Amino acid sequence: MATSTVSSIPLSLSDRLTAGIIALMIGGFLVFGAGLANSAVLHDTAHDTRHSYGFPCH
Amino acid sequence: MIVKTLLAAVVAGLIAGVFMTGAQELRVTPLILHAEEFEGEAPAAGEQPAAADHQQHSSLNGAPTLGEMLAALSPVTPAYAHEGEEHEEGGIMFGMSRFSGTLAANLVTGAGFSLLLAGISLVIGYPITLANGALWGAFGWLAVHLLPAVGLPPELPGFPAAELGDRQLWWGATVLLSAAGLYLLALRGEIVAKLAGLVLVAAPHFYGAPQPLDISSNVPAVLGAEFAVAALATTLAFWIVLGIVSGFINDRFLKAN
Repeated sequence: MATSTVSSIPLSLSDRLTAGIIALMIGGFLVFGAGLANSAVLHDTAHDTRHSYGFPCH
Repeated sequence: MIVKTLLAAVVAGLIAGVFMTGAQELRVTPLILHAEEFEGEAPAAGEQPAAADHQQHSSLNGAPTLGEMLAALSPVTPAYAHEGEEHEEGGIMFGMSRFSGTLAANLVTGAGFSLLLAGISLVIGYPITLANGALWGAFGWLAVHLLPAVGLPPELPGFPAAELGDRQLWWGATVLLSAAGLYLLALRGEIVAKLAGLVLVAAPHFYGAPQPLDISSNVPAVLGAEFAVAALATTLAFWIVLGIVSGFINDRFLKAN
């Protein structure tokens, strides 16, 4: 891991940061929705997933 | 290029989510269903009658029977709202079966974790490759599952637990602190950074996870132990698959340009 360098990602620094931050925001939103959101419909749909990922759930 | 990078992460997450669904159906979901039989009953002082335990829980009991598979595909959803809680009107989205709901949630969660992993990789400037993908996955698992599980082990339905909001806050904070701590421990060379990483990883555990006041439960302890190990093992497999697939896609489709 330590031997890899930034140059193997074919993105400029600002593009890399933009893509990274967008990815973090979308990813956080998806994980929050599936795992933590306090909606009964989301909870019941994702019930088994929430338990098996160990999300704090009901 | 940005869109392509994000799409690569989503595809990796969807593949890992499908894999996770298969792994869950083998071991984790049967344990959840079994525990739900005990959920909602008042905790009894005596032990459970052994005869009530129809389902075996040997590790060989992995393959679902044809009937169970048909039941999982059936549009008739079993009621598994949690008794004794005030609930708004629940139910599974779009009339999906329980299995398809779980599959959909795994796909969303897989894509979400994959995007988070890719986002961290992009921001800190360490690419995920086929060679280091398993390590990336393992560290994701440490931060999101093992370290939070030290304070809040994966729960079965019917387990006693503290206030939901407190637990979610502690869990979220622990994931963030663990991820930051692991980054400092693994990817920074300075001794000071490593010490700071250790402090970050340990801090939430010294603070302490919210614990329930009353720990009596009707769900047999053996089920809880089996479930905790099964949940951690399947999530570890999920993360390693996610890391390797992400690395493969990055190497194969993003490097070429």
